[in-house]
Amino acid sequence: MASTTLLGRVHPPGGMEVNPTRSDSLPMETGSDALNDGTASSPGGSAPLRSKWVLTQAGFDKLLACLDADREAAGRTYLEIRTNLIRFFTWRGCAFPEDHADETINRVAKKVSEGEEIRNPSGYCMGVGRLVLLEVYKEQEKERLALGELTYSPVESNYGDEIEPRVECLKRCLQGQTPENRELILQYYEGEKGEKIENRKKLSEKLKTPLNTLRMRALRVRERLQVCVGDCVKTS
Amino acid sequence: MNVPIDEGLIVRYLLGDLSDHEQVEIEDRAFSDAQYLQSILAVEADLIDEYVRGGLYENERRQFENRFLASNEGRQKVQFAKALAKVAGESVVTETSRRPVVARATTSWWSSFIAALGNASPAVRLSMAAASLVLVIGAAFLTWQTIRLSGEVTQLQAEQKSDLNKQKALEKQFTDERALSQDLAARLENEQQQRQHTEELIRDLEHEREESANRPPQPTIFSFVLLPGLSRSGGALPKLVVPQSAGLVRLQLGLEQGDEYKSFAVELRTQAGKQIWTQDRLSAQSPRAGRLVVLSVPAKLLDAGKYEVALKGVLDGGKIEDVGYYYFEVQKK
Repeated sequence: MASTTLLGRVHPPGGMEVNPTRSDSLPMETGSDALNDGTASSPGGSAPLRSKWVLTQAGFDKLLACLDADREAAGRTYLEIRTNLIRFFTWRGCAFPEDHADETINRVAKKVSEGEEIRNPSGYCMGVGRLVLLEVYKEQEKERLALGELTYSPVESNYGDEIEPRVECLKRCLQGQTPENRELILQYYEGEKGEKIENRKKLSEKLKTPLNTLRMRALRVRERLQVCVGDCVKTS
Repeated sequence: MNVPIDEGLIVRYLLGDLSDHEQVEIEDRAFSDAQYLQSILAVEADLIDEYVRGGLYENERRQFENRFLASNEGRQKVQFAKALAKVAGESVVTETSRRPVVARATTSWWSSFIAALGNASPAVRLSMAAASLVLVIGAAFLTWQTIRLSGEVTQLQAEQKSDLNKQKALEKQFTDERALSQDLAARLENEQQQRQHTEELIRDLEHEREESANRPPQPTIFSFVLLPGLSRSGGALPKLVVPQSAGLVRLQLGLEQGDEYKSFAVELRTQAGKQIWTQDRLSAQSPRAGRLVVLSVPAKLLDAGKYEVALKGVLDGGKIEDVGYYYFEVQKK
């Protein structure tokens, strides 16, 4: 499953297309510095960062090989790195975390293709990711200055009222969970502050599970439900 | 490496409240320590829930929005958290009659209530409507009761005030009457004292009258002036007419110049030489007419006849000298 997916269209939104048929003929780069040749877009909503260098199948294979000798394990590492990069750019308030994550991987892949030896791919990716972030911030600042006195506001507080479809999807997704997980997720995230903490203690005693373990279980269920709801909203 | 997890620091990281160096430290640890990463994700989930439920302060809220609403990924998480909060709240309302979870939402409580009612099942709506009706009736009843009790309290306060005024008036009246009574008692006592004094005066007067009635009449005093140098054998003797009622006869013996003595003594003798009266320690008196020695002799000792008064002077050493002799004749009337 992993290898098939990874070798197809990996990241359509970011424009990084792996084309195995053209890997040998595509130019690898146009600039002198592979880590700085991308053009970052502002998080405010202008065109996402697009690399002039295009990742080929051969380049992607080299990257996977760099991550792990076992291709399937390499695929999992690749997904983990990408997910973490997306988290990183999200936490740093970027408008297009996925695109920036792909741009980061693209630049790392370029380096690998050039023959650079990377001992800690995850750490290396984070380092490149920070450089991309700096470019993003720089572009964001340029755009802010260009807009003059207008204050940048990423989005209104009460953006969109799309809660109902998600509620229906969530209810549907909850039905796909076990009764225990359903009870767990609803009770664990119910209430506010003090009340929520008290609920969690009671739930921990009821399920005879340590609070930390309970927290991780709830988080896993939540993440699964979030993916399920995302898919549900897209399809409905 | 088992470094403790500081969730407060993670929250600050997620809100963009840390320095670049601190952010890098957290990220490096997160992407090399799976457990730490899970902790960040758990804290992130709770932070998003807090935001959705209106549990963040204004500045936190702004920071959160700058970070999480900037990207589609962040918005997806927030939307999911909203849906989860709603479904979790509904499940609680359905299972129990506990209060709605979203107490600190940004919208007003009324809007939240209407929204919650709109999304509730028919049974829940019916229950809420019934509860609302009971609440309205209860509130009206309580209002009516409050107004009625307020009126009663006002009336009781007025009555209490009236009673208080009456009590004060009675107290004043009692005080006045007591003062009047004391005044009357004082006046009565004063009059009694005056009456008693008058009675005592009357008694004294009566007693005095009785005493004066019982008292013997004071002796009548007759005064005569006798001059020295009149001899017994010489011409007519001064005659003293003494009434029968006379008690005392006062004899005033005239002194000549040089008769200076410490005191005087007299002897009264009859013509036959019989001594009938003596008196000593007499002093010379100095009326305008000249120096005198005065002696009082009971009238009863003086019968009709001729008498001789021998005047003697007492010197400082106690020696007695004859000063002179005085003669007179008594006639009884």
